[in-house]
Amino acid sequence: MVEQKKKPKVYDYFQEKEDPYAGGVAWCAGCMLELTARFIPKVLGKDIVLVGCPGCSAPVLYGQNLGAWHRMSYFSALMTGVASSATGISRYYRKTGREATVVCFTGDGCSADIGFQPLSGAAERNEHIIYITYDNEGYMNTGYQRSSTTPLGASTSTTPAGTVGHGKPTPAKNVPLLIAMQGAAYVATATLSHLDDFAKKLAKAKEKSREGFVYIHIFAPCVMGWRIETDMSIQICRMAVRTNYFPLWEAEDGRFRLTNEVTSPRPIGEFINMVRKFSHLKEPDIAEFQQMVDRRYAVIKKLCAVE
Amino acid sequence: MIAQRGKVKVITGNSAAAYGAMLCRPDVATSYPITPMSEVAEQLSSFRANGLMETEMVEVEGENSAMNVVAGASIAGGRTFTATSSWGLSFMYDAVQHAAGFRAPIVMVIANRESPGILAVSGGQQDIISVRDTGWIQIIVEECQEILDTVIMAYRLAEDHNILLPVMVNYDGFYLSYMTTAVEIPEQADVDNFLAPLKKQPARQMLEPGVALGCGTHGIELGFVELRYRQCAAMERAATKLDEIDCDFGEYFGRSYGGQIEEYRTDDADIIIVASGGAAGTARVVIDAKREEGIKVGLIKLRLFRPFPRRRLAVALKGKKAIGVIDRSIDFGWNCGPMYMELRALTPEIGIVPMLSYIDGLANLDITVPHIARVVDEVHAAAKGKSYQEVTWILLEE
Amino acid sequence: MIKHKFIFPSEGAWSDGRERLLCLDTGSWRVARPVLDKEKCNYCSLCALYCPPQCLKDIGDYYTPDLDYCKGCGICVRECPRGALKMVSEGEFADDSAAR
Repeated sequence: MVEQKKKPKVYDYFQEKEDPYAGGVAWCAGCMLELTARFIPKVLGKDIVLVGCPGCSAPVLYGQNLGAWHRMSYFSALMTGVASSATGISRYYRKTGREATVVCFTGDGCSADIGFQPLSGAAERNEHIIYITYDNEGYMNTGYQRSSTTPLGASTSTTPAGTVGHGKPTPAKNVPLLIAMQGAAYVATATLSHLDDFAKKLAKAKEKSREGFVYIHIFAPCVMGWRIETDMSIQICRMAVRTNYFPLWEAEDGRFRLTNEVTSPRPIGEFINMVRKFSHLKEPDIAEFQQMVDRRYAVIKKLCAVE
Repeated sequence: MIAQRGKVKVITGNSAAAYGAMLCRPDVATSYPITPMSEVAEQLSSFRANGLMETEMVEVEGENSAMNVVAGASIAGGRTFTATSSWGLSFMYDAVQHAAGFRAPIVMVIANRESPGILAVSGGQQDIISVRDTGWIQIIVEECQEILDTVIMAYRLAEDHNILLPVMVNYDGFYLSYMTTAVEIPEQADVDNFLAPLKKQPARQMLEPGVALGCGTHGIELGFVELRYRQCAAMERAATKLDEIDCDFGEYFGRSYGGQIEEYRTDDADIIIVASGGAAGTARVVIDAKREEGIKVGLIKLRLFRPFPRRRLAVALKGKKAIGVIDRSIDFGWNCGPMYMELRALTPEIGIVPMLSYIDGLANLDITVPHIARVVDEVHAAAKGKSYQEVTWILLEE
Repeated sequence: MIKHKFIFPSEGAWSDGRERLLCLDTGSWRVARPVLDKEKCNYCSLCALYCPPQCLKDIGDYYTPDLDYCKGCGICVRECPRGALKMVSEGEFADDSAAR
């Protein structure tokens, strides 16, 4: 037996030992949404009120007739009304002097597209809500269609690579940056390979949600939609961070900070090669992609320099 | 009458709606401006800003959010209020259905205006028709006092534990929304007393942090059917419940409106005119004049539209020789008035009698005394066996 | 005449997880399971942290998968810094399946 390591620091952030979800739920093997969903109540506690919408989370977040898959209070909102329903719940608790943590939990299809208006509205009004997006870069539950966070060049079921089409022709929306520009109390990016960082941000989120709007954007690869092996999800998260494709940053009251600064980023090709939704990309495409990644990172870096 | 006399203020219909809401002490209210009801939002915001109410006002970024915010707050356990019109109502359509399915007892006032399709910043009832199958209770009122009173009654109806359905209180946009009349504002204590019986009822299910109850489960097969059935059963109960509440209101405040329908001079009438909203007021004037001429005509003012007051109408219309229905909207697909169409469905109960559809009052064009007089004359002639035009677009025949 | 026995105790579409939860037999999805070499394990807990269904049970100085729920994704094997885990085909355990 090798000398035992101390338990990782992430355990210090856990409020709950027990997982409020049932042992067996219908998320794919290797699903990063599952890891995210089970991780959140560990840090935020299981007395949160979850607000969800149709998508990959719905079959587990919501019940089936009277039966439920987890022990948390939830409200199933329309895809057009997540942040707004959460606003109503949050405002009622505030009015009645009740301390409660209202957590929106949706995919990128909701946050970036159909649910963007109410998200932006709630952020602007500084509602006391934590909005968490699991970004699998597409509408996965309905068959891997593209969303506005699908990256440039990705092959999806509605932007397939073929003889004429070369994947999504436009780059992704940077939703966390947009919300940070609105002046939310706390905005952060996180992913499943860096769990200490994620836990710390969730703990901060709970604290800041007492003051105003919190937005957390999780990079969560989809085994099915991205066509990756079930055991590669965490590796891909790690590579996304190491290439600066998905930099880990936070903005507290408008002040930006990289929480995991990568000093020598790996070339984007290493990330692209791991994900088969990019398999049709040629050298010029990859070079363009690298430029885009570098520019995006440069913008974040510049923002970090603002006092 | 048990309540004290309230203070009389000279206010608009929009303002009356806002006062009605304020007196019911909603926990959360939302507002988004749209002509002709922006003033409701302004008035509520003013009440809040001046400490006259403690409601959490949320100035949302769109009507879809306006409905979703109150739906969330309602399911969390709060009393809620919102207001909109036509285009805004269309924008919140998914949330409107959602709220009814979730049995959220929201009260919403709608200043009726022509719905999208043909751009119009003018009154009409097409917006009522556009949401008639959403599962909401729909009431249509005639005057400013009735707006205020019906908002209060709406909470008694919506939050009743045997109902638990959201309620729309509809009033003519432009006509009532902007009309300034004397309105008696009930005393706060009296409104509190009128709504107090709700507190004695069993509490409804609500969200509770830390408790494994979730709202919005998937309806699977028979589970779905059951939920739908229960929603419909509650809707059915709402008809007689409204009559009871209207009666209670009359006893307490000294004003009542007939509940599902108001029957004006219908007992000995040979022919009936059916109208809703402000047009009913004009119709009464015509009814009285025609009575002077010897025509035995009566008016039914349709207040409850959903659920459709079929039983009371069947009783009121039985034995009548002809019926004229004035619609302020269109039934696409049947190319006639929608209320006319629904009254036609009572034929098994009332027998086949001439029923005439009149489309009037679109786009802020008035439903005038001469229009209604023409309606009475034609219905009277039809009752005598003369041939008649089934659907008349009065505005295009002038 | 309605013969259906109502399943919802209250009005509205509420689910209730207070007494029991729905649960899927996700263990049956597996085609391979993780097997631990205890000699190599230093109880770093990364396998347990990265397991999506959180089914690695803490035995005290190592972890073991809950075979009722392990979907066989292989993340624990991939992430173990000491290579203490490996995926073994379910076929190797065909004799045990009846006992489960």
